[in-house]
Amino acid sequence: MKNKEQNVILDSITEGVFTVGLDWRITSFNLAAEEITGIGREKAIGRHCKDVLRAEVCETGCTLRHTMDTGEPIMNKAVHIIDAQGNKRAIAISTALLKNTSGKVIGGVESFRDISMVEQLRKEIEGRYSCEDIISQSHKMRNLFAILPNLAESNTTVLIEGESGTGKELFARAIHNLSFRRDKPFVAVNCGALPDTLLESELFGYKAGAFTDAKKDKPGRFALAQGGTIFLDEIGDISAAVQVKLLRVLQEKTYEPVGAISTVKADVRIITASNKKLDQLVRQESFRDDLYYRINVMKLELPPLRDKKEDITLLVDHFISRFNRLQNKNICCVTNEVTTALLAYDYPGNVRELENIIEHCFVLCTGEIIEAKHLPASVRPALQMDQIETSKPATIKQMEAIMICQALRRNKGNKTAAARDLGIDKSTLFRKIKALDIKPALYAE
Amino acid sequence: MNIAIPIWNDCVSNVFDFAARILLVEIENNKEISRSQILLESRSLSQRADQLKNLKVDIVICGAVSRALAEMVTASGVKVLPFVTGSVDDVVRAYLSQQLDNPEFTMPGYWPGARKGFGRCQRGQRRCGRAGHREV
Repeated sequence: MKNKEQNVILDSITEGVFTVGLDWRITSFNLAAEEITGIGREKAIGRHCKDVLRAEVCETGCTLRHTMDTGEPIMNKAVHIIDAQGNKRAIAISTALLKNTSGKVIGGVESFRDISMVEQLRKEIEGRYSCEDIISQSHKMRNLFAILPNLAESNTTVLIEGESGTGKELFARAIHNLSFRRDKPFVAVNCGALPDTLLESELFGYKAGAFTDAKKDKPGRFALAQGGTIFLDEIGDISAAVQVKLLRVLQEKTYEPVGAISTVKADVRIITASNKKLDQLVRQESFRDDLYYRINVMKLELPPLRDKKEDITLLVDHFISRFNRLQNKNICCVTNEVTTALLAYDYPGNVRELENIIEHCFVLCTGEIIEAKHLPASVRPALQMDQIETSKPATIKQMEAIMICQALRRNKGNKTAAARDLGIDKSTLFRKIKALDIKPALYAE
Repeated sequence: MNIAIPIWNDCVSNVFDFAARILLVEIENNKEISRSQILLESRSLSQRADQLKNLKVDIVICGAVSRALAEMVTASGVKVLPFVTGSVDDVVRAYLSQQLDNPEFTMPGYWPGARKGFGRCQRGQRRCGRAGHREV
C-alpha cells in the first residue's frame, strides 16, 4: 500500500497512532494523535516521542521500549499525559513492533485512545478522590494539603468545618483514600437529612423484632463502614439522644444496634463535618461539650470561596474541562467580562455554586466561548456594578467607591454592617455614599 | 539565585508533574556556584509547589507542565520557564547565555503564551481556556 493511502486510513480512525524509528524519533503521526495530544504532526514528526506524548511512563517504564526490548506487545495500559493545552488526560496505550517486508524490526508503533471521560465517570461513581482532585492555589488550602497525608495516616477522629459547598466531603474522601483504610468502605451519612427517630437505626442498625415491621436484622452504617471510614455530615444537627450514643462509640469503640442485647465492636474511623461552628453550639448548649471534645481531635477549617478568590480562574478552567468531557462539548474559555463578574460575586454556595454557574453557562452556550449573557441572573448584577469596582482606580475617591461597593455587597446592602466592616462611622459612610452616588439598594440581594 | 530543573538521568524531565527528582543549581553573578539533587517527595501538585518554595527556588526550568501545577508554582512566587528540552548541562549553559529560546531547547506543542509565563491573560484580552487552542 502506498504511503498516501496508509495516511488516509490512519487519519480516518479515532485512535491516535504514531510510529517511531530505532532512534525513538517520530516518523508518522495521525489526525487523532494530533487531537488527543494537541500537537500538530508537522511539529511532532522528527521529535523524540517522549517530548510529544509526555506520559508519566515515558521515563520510568516506557511501554514502547518494553515492546522493542522484548518483542511483546502491550495492550490498553492506562497512563496519564499532559496535552498541549496543559490538561492532564487519561489515555490507554497499546504498542507493537514495526517490521519491514523482510521481517526486520525498523521501529515501533504506539496507538492510544482518550479515556478521560471513562476515568472521570469512574471517579465520580467510586468517589476515588485524592488531594490532586481538590483544586486550589490558596495558601489556606495548601496549609491543609500539607497536613493531610499525616492526618490520614494517624487514624484519629477529624472534624471538618466549613460553609456549605466548600468541599467537606471531598476532603473526607481524600483523607480516607490516603489512609490505610482506603481499600475498605467509605460511608457518608448526612445526619441533617434523616429524622431523629430514623437516624439511630440508620447509624447503628436494628435487630428483628426491635419495633413493628422490623422483620429481620438490618445492619447500620457503622456496620457497613466496618474497617473503613464513616463520614457524618451536618453533625451539629443530631439530637441529644444520638449524641450520647455517638459519644459511646467514640469512647468505647462499641455500639448496640436498636433492640440488640449485646454490643458490637466498631473498627471505624469517624470523620465529622458541620457547616455550623460547633463551639458556638456547645456554648448555646445544643451540642454536648464532651462529644465536641471527642470529635475535635483534629479540626480542619475550610475557607469559603469568597476568601480564596485566587482559586476562581483555576476552578473555572477545571469545571470547563470537566463539563466538556461529560457533555461532549468543546467550550474553550470565558470572556474577560465573565471572569470579572465571577471574581466580583460572593458565592454564598461556595465552590458548588461556582460549579452550578458554569453548568448553567454550558446549557446556554452554543459556541466555544462563555459570554456574560450565558451567566445566571444572580451573577449579572455583580457584573453591572463591578465595572466601577474592578476598573483600575486612578484617584483616592475611586478607591473609596470600590471599597464601599465591595463592603455593601459583602453585607447585602446593609449600610450599618458595611460601615462596621470598613471601620468608619455610619454617618461618614452615608455621606460618602451620597457624594459618590452609590446605590446601596442594588446590593440588597 | 536558585534554579530548579526537574531531571531524568542527565536530561530535563519531559513532564514536571511526573518527575521524581530535581537538580538545584545555585547561580551567582551569572556563574554556576553549586549543584545538588533533591527528591520530589510527593506527587501532590500543591506539595510540589510548596517544596520548591521551601527550597527558596527562584526559577523552575522544566519540560511540559500542567496548567494547574504551573499556576500553583507561580502563585508561590516562583517563576516557571516551561517546555524546555535537552541535556541539563546544555540547558544551564543556554540559560546563562540567554539562549534558552533557541529551537533546539523548545518542546513542540504548548498553549499560547505558555513560554512567556503563567497566570492571568493580559488585561483587555480574552482568557485563554482549555481545549481548542493550538500553539501559535
